[in-house]
Amino acid sequence: MRLQSPFTAVFLAVTLAFAGVAIRAESLSQRVDALIEAKAKDGKQPLAAPAGDAEFFRRAWLDFNGNIPSAEDTRKFLAEPAKDKRTKLIDQLFAAPEFPARMAEVFNIQLMERNGDNEEWRRYLADSFRENKPWDQMVREMVSPDFKNEKLRGAGHFIMRRLEKVGQQDTDYPGLTRDTGRLFMGVDLQCCQCHKHLTVKDYKQVDFNGLFVTFQNVKLQPAGGDYKSAWLSEGLLDKKYEFVSVLNRTKGETGPRVPLGAEVEIPTLSEAEKWIEPPDKKKRTLGVPKFSPLKELGQRLASAENPFFARNIANRVWFLAMGRGLVEPLDLLHSENPASHPELLDLLAKEITEHKFDIKWLLHELALTQTYARSSILPADAKDAPENFFTVAKERPLAAEQLARAFLAATGERERVIDGKGWDGIEGKKVERKDFQKAFTSAFANAAKEPELSVNPTLRSALFLRNNDLVLWSLQRRTGNLMDRLAAISDAEKIADELYLSILTRPPTAEEKTEVATYLAKHQADREKALGHYAWAMLSSMEFFANH
Amino acid sequence: MNPLCKPWEHAVSRRRFLGASAGAFAFGALGGLATAQAAEAMRKNEKQVLFVWLDGGISQLESWDPKPNTPFGGPFRAIPTSVPGTHFSELMAKSAKQAHRLCVLRSLCTQDNSHSSGVARIQRGDPRNRGVPYPYFGSAIAKLMGPTSSKLPPYVWIKPDSGGFKTEDAGFLGPKYGSLAFGDGKPPENLLRNASLAADEDEERNELREMLNKRYAAQRRTNFTEASSYVFDTARELMRRSEIFDTSKLPPKDQDRYGRTEIGRHMLIARNMLEAGVRFVKVANYGWDTHGDNFNGHASLVPKFDRAFAAIIEDLAASGLLENTLVVAMSEFGRTPRINGHVGRDHWPEAWSLAMAGCGVKPGAVVGATNDNGTFVKDNGYDIGAVFHTWYSALGIDSKTVEYDNHGQPLPIAHEEMKAIKEALV
Repeated sequence: MRLQSPFTAVFLAVTLAFAGVAIRAESLSQRVDALIEAKAKDGKQPLAAPAGDAEFFRRAWLDFNGNIPSAEDTRKFLAEPAKDKRTKLIDQLFAAPEFPARMAEVFNIQLMERNGDNEEWRRYLADSFRENKPWDQMVREMVSPDFKNEKLRGAGHFIMRRLEKVGQQDTDYPGLTRDTGRLFMGVDLQCCQCHKHLTVKDYKQVDFNGLFVTFQNVKLQPAGGDYKSAWLSEGLLDKKYEFVSVLNRTKGETGPRVPLGAEVEIPTLSEAEKWIEPPDKKKRTLGVPKFSPLKELGQRLASAENPFFARNIANRVWFLAMGRGLVEPLDLLHSENPASHPELLDLLAKEITEHKFDIKWLLHELALTQTYARSSILPADAKDAPENFFTVAKERPLAAEQLARAFLAATGERERVIDGKGWDGIEGKKVERKDFQKAFTSAFANAAKEPELSVNPTLRSALFLRNNDLVLWSLQRRTGNLMDRLAAISDAEKIADELYLSILTRPPTAEEKTEVATYLAKHQADREKALGHYAWAMLSSMEFFANH
Repeated sequence: MNPLCKPWEHAVSRRRFLGASAGAFAFGALGGLATAQAAEAMRKNEKQVLFVWLDGGISQLESWDPKPNTPFGGPFRAIPTSVPGTHFSELMAKSAKQAHRLCVLRSLCTQDNSHSSGVARIQRGDPRNRGVPYPYFGSAIAKLMGPTSSKLPPYVWIKPDSGGFKTEDAGFLGPKYGSLAFGDGKPPENLLRNASLAADEDEERNELREMLNKRYAAQRRTNFTEASSYVFDTARELMRRSEIFDTSKLPPKDQDRYGRTEIGRHMLIARNMLEAGVRFVKVANYGWDTHGDNFNGHASLVPKFDRAFAAIIEDLAASGLLENTLVVAMSEFGRTPRINGHVGRDHWPEAWSLAMAGCGVKPGAVVGATNDNGTFVKDNGYDIGAVFHTWYSALGIDSKTVEYDNHGQPLPIAHEEMKAIKEALV
């Protein structure tokens, strides 16, 4: 039996009111499964078997903790007889302090796309997810930052980083406009900067420019006066922005607007009324205008009234759990690009809105679905399975952060590197967690500004695994690490067990045990080194690299 | 950018679209060939590119287009070359002897006289602004032609300073089409086998890894495993042939011929890489921006370039590779005929030169001319867009019909209002 959510009553009401789904009033996770299974049946797509306990255990750990479990934890979980052990596991993972940290990490990658780091921003994300702050509130704090509030000013990094000048390029207002649309509403308006969108009917030039003009008067300012850190000033906007289509010279004009929504009227104010605090040349203050396009945008964009806001976050939370959006690409929501499961997206958007944009709640519901708990192993006789049916779990390459942690955990170097005082690793130089993280990030993260919805395999990463000192040194025997534990075992079968549980979070099959035994028999003379190579082969295998 | 299609999917579908022969790009194609000789023969017919980039702007007057005894001609003489009637600057004594293999374009007339934008504009072929960053020539070739059957990475950049995996040249094509950069001629991090590993150990652990992967992949969807094995296979291939990239041991005799200078060393490494089958090799050399003391500057720089350039032309010709290798030597612009108050020459995109050789270009030709004082081009000048069409044409790519597909947005590979320079082509 899974835990009854306090929101069951809400589900009931919603489900009963929900037209078009003839299923019993049940929890959201059950309704999700019903919709997925109904479409699979219609499309004659066989469902993969449920993931085995080990597969599920590793997946949930990687998704909600960000690391792989230890061999010990895995043994315990596999031996646990309780029928509801998976539900308990999910609840434990969601309640642990690693969960908000993992969310902060995931959202940092999605929102900043590897474009620089900032400590206050990271802290803001970590605090927000720890408090389980509603997503609409977070977005308002990012879009219309309060730089005088020490706890919230980190949110301003989203805009600030994008307005930093790089080399001789102009400040990238179009880039900020585009990213705001993409990440908070799932609409990539880039092509509408200069003309109507050529392939998407719904996206108009006025949508890009309405968002663009909102940011036009926003300027980066250095720390000073009331501001302890760099901040953003907002200038006076008292007339509409004019634009021309490069295709047919059609002119248009707009005030600030939420894309695909209504225009915000620019108030007609007398000169004196325009300012809360007029600019003062003597004091060198910029002044504070009464009309703030950023505030208007924040309130209207991150709102239950904006259907794209809810659909975007519902689609992105689904993506976090399943590795693929109901709408793909994530940033092309429009009427001619329907969701693979339109009713399901509607349902999730409605539910997350009613739950005050509670990301943790929705993700928890999804983690309890059978859809999430399916194996990535194809059903018997199937050669492939279309991803958009969600009938077979999608393998997702680990992000650099997950990988660095999993690598340290698997090799048994985590304590030494993280909790210890570093490790006298290479040429007498201490190796610390940040060295590991940095090396893995530079080898495995996507290029800056390249959306990292999936990590692209690169030659750099392959070479890193093969030849990097950190990788190879962590496979040398040191007190208490994996190689040390293996050296203490003489029985080949037990060695296989320790290797597979430590690295791949599962017990070896009979065939795999035989392989290890054969290999060890061949390498009696150089057993320790050979075991290092075996562990390396497992650590650089696809099974380790994938959250499968 | 588009999470629907992964770069490697583009790589395949793109090349199918281009209709290139399968053997020209397929990793693993080599495995299907009966003998090493057959593989070698196939590779020999594959087109390659050597792109020498003289950053900052080589003076056309002190190199390919001398104007001695004119108001702006400077102190150097012009010397005859191996082509009767064609003269180079006396600083180019060795390249002058290779003139019968070169095609010099003397009527470049381009748009930009600043380094920061000019470098990118020239190497991107200055297409019309489509709101997306175009790839540099090397990334474009990596995309359009892919690796040769040698399976080596298609775009290698040998440069001073730092190296690594440089993705910025790739523009909208995506990071996969960036370059493998040899900083100061040295291989990128982790490319050579770790000193703690013997070759047979390395092979054995890779076999183990492949055994594990095979079993894992057998039960699962194909696209994830294909993408991952692609890069691992390439890494393996690179390391198997790491002697090409071990640039610490270059034959002393060759070093003397190419010059014991930075550009000499880098050009020699470039030759080895072309011989090994790298599709596109860029050699970059810095310090050509001689706003002050232009003549002493060029008296020092040009002969170093000249020696290295002449040596590689000679070697490529001798090995037969020149026939299928397009060679280009150029900068982002030329230098002003007017000599400034610091005895320097400033930036001059109005009338300048570049040199080409090899694959598809007319040997011994001089295309276009500047006026008597070298200030402007005579008749029509050529913009870089026309030069890109010329290069594509030399490489057998129809730049009027082949297009990039930027997530559904069709984009011409070269400026659509320009065309190839016929006089420069065979």
